[in-house]
Amino acid sequence: MNRIIYLHIKELWLHTESRFKLVAVVVLLGWSVLVLAMVGCGRKPDDPRRIVIWHQMRPDEQVILHRQLAGYMAAHPGIKIEELFKETEMLRSAYVVGALAGQGPDLVYGPSDPVGVYEATKSIRPLEDLFSQEYLSAFDSTALLRYRGHLYQIADKIGNHLALVYNKKYIQKPPTTDKELINLSKAIQAKYGYVAGRPNVYGITWNYTEPFFFIPFYTGFGGWVFGEDGVTPTLDNKSMVDALNFIRQLRDDDKIVPNEADYEIADALFKDGKAAMLINGDWSWAGYAQKGIDIGVAPLPRISATGLWCAPMTSPKGYSMNVNVDKEKIPLLLDLLKYLLSEECELETAKALNTAPTRRSLYRHPEILSNEILQNSLIQITHGKPMPVVPQMRAVWDAMRPSYQAVMGGARTPEQAARDMQAQALRKIKEMNE
Amino acid sequence: MNTDRTKQFIGFLVIPSFVLLAAVVFYPFLYNVALAFGNMNLNKIRDWQFIGFRQFIKIFTEPSQPDFYAVFGKTIIWTVVNVAFHVILGVFLALLLNQKIKGKAIYRTLLILPWAIPQYIVALTWRGMFNYEYGSINLILTKFLGMPAVEWLRSPTEAFIACIITNVWLGFPFMMVVALGALQSIPHELYEAAEIDGASWWHKLRTITLPLIRPVMIPAITLGIVWTFNNLNIVWLVSNGGEPSDRTHILVSFVYKAAFNFYSFSYAAALSLVIFLLLLTFSMVFMKQSKATEGAY
Repeated sequence: MNRIIYLHIKELWLHTESRFKLVAVVVLLGWSVLVLAMVGCGRKPDDPRRIVIWHQMRPDEQVILHRQLAGYMAAHPGIKIEELFKETEMLRSAYVVGALAGQGPDLVYGPSDPVGVYEATKSIRPLEDLFSQEYLSAFDSTALLRYRGHLYQIADKIGNHLALVYNKKYIQKPPTTDKELINLSKAIQAKYGYVAGRPNVYGITWNYTEPFFFIPFYTGFGGWVFGEDGVTPTLDNKSMVDALNFIRQLRDDDKIVPNEADYEIADALFKDGKAAMLINGDWSWAGYAQKGIDIGVAPLPRISATGLWCAPMTSPKGYSMNVNVDKEKIPLLLDLLKYLLSEECELETAKALNTAPTRRSLYRHPEILSNEILQNSLIQITHGKPMPVVPQMRAVWDAMRPSYQAVMGGARTPEQAARDMQAQALRKIKEMNE
Repeated sequence: MNTDRTKQFIGFLVIPSFVLLAAVVFYPFLYNVALAFGNMNLNKIRDWQFIGFRQFIKIFTEPSQPDFYAVFGKTIIWTVVNVAFHVILGVFLALLLNQKIKGKAIYRTLLILPWAIPQYIVALTWRGMFNYEYGSINLILTKFLGMPAVEWLRSPTEAFIACIITNVWLGFPFMMVVALGALQSIPHELYEAAEIDGASWWHKLRTITLPLIRPVMIPAITLGIVWTFNNLNIVWLVSNGGEPSDRTHILVSFVYKAAFNFYSFSYAAALSLVIFLLLLTFSMVFMKQSKATEGAY
């Protein structure tokens, strides 16, 4: 057969004009590229010594992970670990698409809320059969994310929560109630003066385009995103209206927050000393300290009208395993996971980033007990509420965001916004289930 | 060489291109068409079924957030305004650069700069510049022009205008480069002859320049329309995913949100097929009406 093809090509070649010969050479090169590309694109047999991790860690978290992985690879010659950062939303989408195609990383690291989506798309595998009960009992129960009867994620950090961050240059004692917060902010703004009607130092700021940052106010006024069944949205109520009115009042009447602030603006204002307090998550605190800001972290204040603490959503951040991982590779991944979830690694992370570890033994560690920021963070976690992992949560976020922004933009009243949020959430959940 | 052998040889030459096109164009396109007639969503991602035209009926008849027809109208405005500015600015600057002026190379480089910067960087930089209190746009308006500050990113209309301004800045260099290339290919003798006949600048522009750059500009405008119609990056990044309140979406960002935020893959596939058919029809009609394929001479 090969001989026939050879003769056929030879005959063609001898009868072809020289300019066509040139074209033929180019096209043959094209063929070579095509063949190589097909070989390259085909799914290679999974290299059992190569581990791929996708994560959404911020730069300071990445430094620690990188160091820990380098240590592991040095101790295990021949094993190659590749880590790839993806922004949170992109990580979720890309991971689902990759896993559906039988690809994707071996391990995916992130907060717990996408686990519901991963489970619905069957893109992660249960972990309960891979770890002994004795091993798992060393972790705080919130670190072991169980959903629909299976263990899908083991966390190395608990929290991923918002708290009140304050600059000690302006504030010695953080506020514990909303009234204290307003009075303190007004006093700071009066002390540092105004330019063209704008305070040189704002009392407080946060990202008020994302409903995640609004949740503490909603819970402070007694609300929660789901009813008792855990999947029916509860957004149209007095708590929502009161909470929306409250933050509008902070901006429009008390004038203690900037007119407009997304995450970057709020972050920059605090870093530049133009805001005395900031509501931000534990992922950001180490960065402020590295910038040379003398920060304190305190629980978000109590709402006087209800007597309730502003409760942020809390969630573990940890590792899940791709459903496509070969059985032969699992022992290697388990070994790596046990290393990354070891006391040593968690302690190193907690000390460097002020994030709450998940190993219970570490809560009694002297370096954790003496860390003021971490201790206040743990208090905040106790005030917080676990973020639901059900896929319906996406519908709630997407229903809340436009109406919340419309209220802040003055385009909708809080009452109208609450009604719209609820209607949208119900509609989106219905669509998801269609 | 007999005809059969020639055909075999040609086939042999064409196969690599065909296979590549099949892999990266035909297969995804056909899969998208199949999805559009299915019900793939978060809960039916692995076991979706064909459901006929239901997704298309849903697009055109059921209310959505944001409303499909409002988004479609906004997409038309987005495309027309952007491309109009791209072409007018591009041709105007190309006419200037085609003159004998000092430092032409420097101006040309500076004017191409927006095109050379990655869109992500441009979009996020402009988003920062549109901030109400600290953005440079409002600082210029209030401090130097004595105008009131504009709530660029908080109000739907202003946020949409902010997206358009960013894309105009980003898009005019392409039209300028194309127009400049076309201008430089016009024989100078034509202008000399017109000058001898006493033609004015306007007359030369209308009767020589514009007709002769038309065969180049029409395909460029068609491309510009398709690109702008489908330009996800700028709207998504400047408005932060359709903010405020999902009021700054164009069709393509609406599709992106449906697919990757809500996992309504079949709905998004149907919508993208609608966009494809709209653009295909437009391109064919526009190319035919404008006689773009006819030579200028």
